[in-house]
Amino acid sequence: MTAVTVAGTPAAPPFATARAMLRLHRPALFLWTGVVLAALALMVWGYGWLAEPAAAAYQRLKACDYACSYDQDAYLTYKDVLRYASYLVTFLPLLVAAWAGATLTSRELESGTAQLAWTQSVTPTRWLAAKLLAPATLLTAGTSLLVLLHHLLWAEGRRADVLGWNDILIFQANGPTTVALTLFGLAAGALTGLLLRRSLAALAVTVAVTAAVGFGLNWFRGYFWPTLTVTAPLKDGPWFGGSVVSYGAVTSTGAHVPVPDCAQYWSAAKDCRAQLDKQHIVRFYSEMHPYSHYWPLQLTATALTLALTGLVVLLAFRVLERHTGTVAKGTAV
Amino acid sequence: MTETAIAAAALGKRFGRRGGWALRECTFRLPVGRVCAVVGPNGAGKSTLLAHAAALLAPTEGSLTVLGTHPAAARERIAYVAQGKPLYPQLSVADTLLLGRELNPARWDASVAERIVAAGDLDPKARVRSLSGGQRTRVALALALGKRPELLLLDEPMADLDPLARHELMGLLMAEAAQYGTTVVMSSHVVAELEGSCDYLLLIGGGRVRLAGDLDDLLAAHLLTTGPVRDLDPHTVVESRTTGRQLTALIRPRGPLPTDGGATAPSLEELLLAHLRNPDAPALVLDPARTPAQEPAA
Amino acid sequence: MVEYRIDRRSGVATYVQIVQQTKQALRLGLLEPGDKLPTAREVVEATAINPNTVLKAYRELEREGLVEARRGLGTFVRKSLGTAPADSPLRAELDAWASRAREAGLQRDDVAALFTAVIDEQFSKGDQE
Repeated sequence: MTAVTVAGTPAAPPFATARAMLRLHRPALFLWTGVVLAALALMVWGYGWLAEPAAAAYQRLKACDYACSYDQDAYLTYKDVLRYASYLVTFLPLLVAAWAGATLTSRELESGTAQLAWTQSVTPTRWLAAKLLAPATLLTAGTSLLVLLHHLLWAEGRRADVLGWNDILIFQANGPTTVALTLFGLAAGALTGLLLRRSLAALAVTVAVTAAVGFGLNWFRGYFWPTLTVTAPLKDGPWFGGSVVSYGAVTSTGAHVPVPDCAQYWSAAKDCRAQLDKQHIVRFYSEMHPYSHYWPLQLTATALTLALTGLVVLLAFRVLERHTGTVAKGTAV
Repeated sequence: MTETAIAAAALGKRFGRRGGWALRECTFRLPVGRVCAVVGPNGAGKSTLLAHAAALLAPTEGSLTVLGTHPAAARERIAYVAQGKPLYPQLSVADTLLLGRELNPARWDASVAERIVAAGDLDPKARVRSLSGGQRTRVALALALGKRPELLLLDEPMADLDPLARHELMGLLMAEAAQYGTTVVMSSHVVAELEGSCDYLLLIGGGRVRLAGDLDDLLAAHLLTTGPVRDLDPHTVVESRTTGRQLTALIRPRGPLPTDGGATAPSLEELLLAHLRNPDAPALVLDPARTPAQEPAA
Repeated sequence: MVEYRIDRRSGVATYVQIVQQTKQALRLGLLEPGDKLPTAREVVEATAINPNTVLKAYRELEREGLVEARRGLGTFVRKSLGTAPADSPLRAELDAWASRAREAGLQRDDVAALFTAVIDEQFSKGDQE
């Protein structure tokens, strides 16, 4: 039987379901717009007015030997702004996870409105798709904009040497991993809501899981791309730039051994030199990522996060099907 | 057009692998165009049954068809108002109806929904959270009826309403049913709420169907007899009580009645109470499609 | 137009109440031939009773030839019901019976109970035929 189209009722335009979802979450929409605008204002200010003077001031300070004057205010303000912006962008996925966990599906199950939504003409599957797609679009747009601006803000003031590319605050905030992690928070919120059916519990679990994924990505990010092996003569000590995954000493036979304790606090002391000679250590080596590895690392982390997000979304649809009984034996006649 | 609104065949539902059975061996058929009361004590399985019909639960065993098809396939043609009438508290009345339109693009009849809301003197701009129980029920019914459902499922719709609101909303429901021939199924644990409004009865106790059929037919199938203590064979005895030398019994007569006693038709309440007090009394499922009535062996 | 009042505690079937009240309105002249009965929707909206009950009552009235359903228009009164005249022989007989009952020492309530019992017996028998 075909649906009865009642005269005088215009068929709902496409995206009606998505629009309905946005109306349901109107306060969140306003909050998100506010957060994005505030962060944008902060970073535009930092990018346009602070980064360049701060970099100039820092270079001046580095170049002079003795009692030179430099624009300390510009440097310190930029440093603060970059830090605030980095914190904001880094914690964005957690903010989204908290919202998604607390409201997206859990509150609907808690208050019973899920039963209202799932018995409309629109199928529960489409309902969840709209629930995910509408915010995902806005979150992707907003987060991408913020990440891009954060990258510009950081790059423009790079010569001020406030935070390195591999700093925990900078690495994720500077690239699309943050966008992917935001989407993961959204999907995880939908899934935990369907599983736990309690707003507060889903909030806590979603934030914890998203934070764990974020920290995990940071923890293991050194392994997301083959490292570069660099070696240094003994006089330079076992310290290297870039993002070091592991380091050690090289013996005359070419074997890699741990750095002896005395060399950890390199002071070129004579007795340590004797110790190194005794172990036939001739150089130090380091497995590390130079800045040129930033994008491969960043994109691998993003791809991993997106794959994880896809898995969570798939699970959410499976759980929904079990909730709504649409996988019953002998489906549809 | 199908003639059956809901048909259950040995429907059973168990929550969790080790949980108890919420429904077991439920078999009945509800024809279209009827107003059916689903009656039973709290926890009898009424909500579980309605949720199955609304495609919110899948049966553990047996099957349930709605309007001739799988409940999920009939989603467009049914409306369901869950217990407590959940609505989005942050939306205004007008936005709630807009939601109905957007989620039911092919079926929504704005005039029906708006008429119901307007008849209740509701401000379309008022937030749902600020409404009284009766007003909320009105909005929930507007949302359900705006979909122009062929089958309307209502779980405890009249609970926590004052008598005036109850009468008004029941009148509204009956009017919609009269105009569009909507099949209405509503559950309640208070029999008096539904008396007069329903013409079909489904009595559920302990997860099983105890009585099912046209209300008048069910009442006509029972007699309340009084007389001297005696063996009531061959009649089916639902309940019997002995007071001194007098025996009062609710029976399903089979064959001629003894002449030395009185027999009256039971009231709906007497019929229901007798069955609820005696869980072991055999069930009676009257199927209008099959005559004579099928009474499963006890 | 009639307005039905349904008493759910009376023990009288709802459709019978509608039939009786329609007949009463016909007797009292509140309804006359050509008048339209309220639609099922109007009745159930006001009384919250089952629509099928109203239809059953209207079918019963139609069967008795008092009303007719015109497709798409509604249900209309076909003929009125005459009232039993105040000076009919039946009334005289009842009058005589009542005074005998009083002489026999029956109270007003006793007489009423007796009267109701006889009516119930006579007319319930008649309905089932």
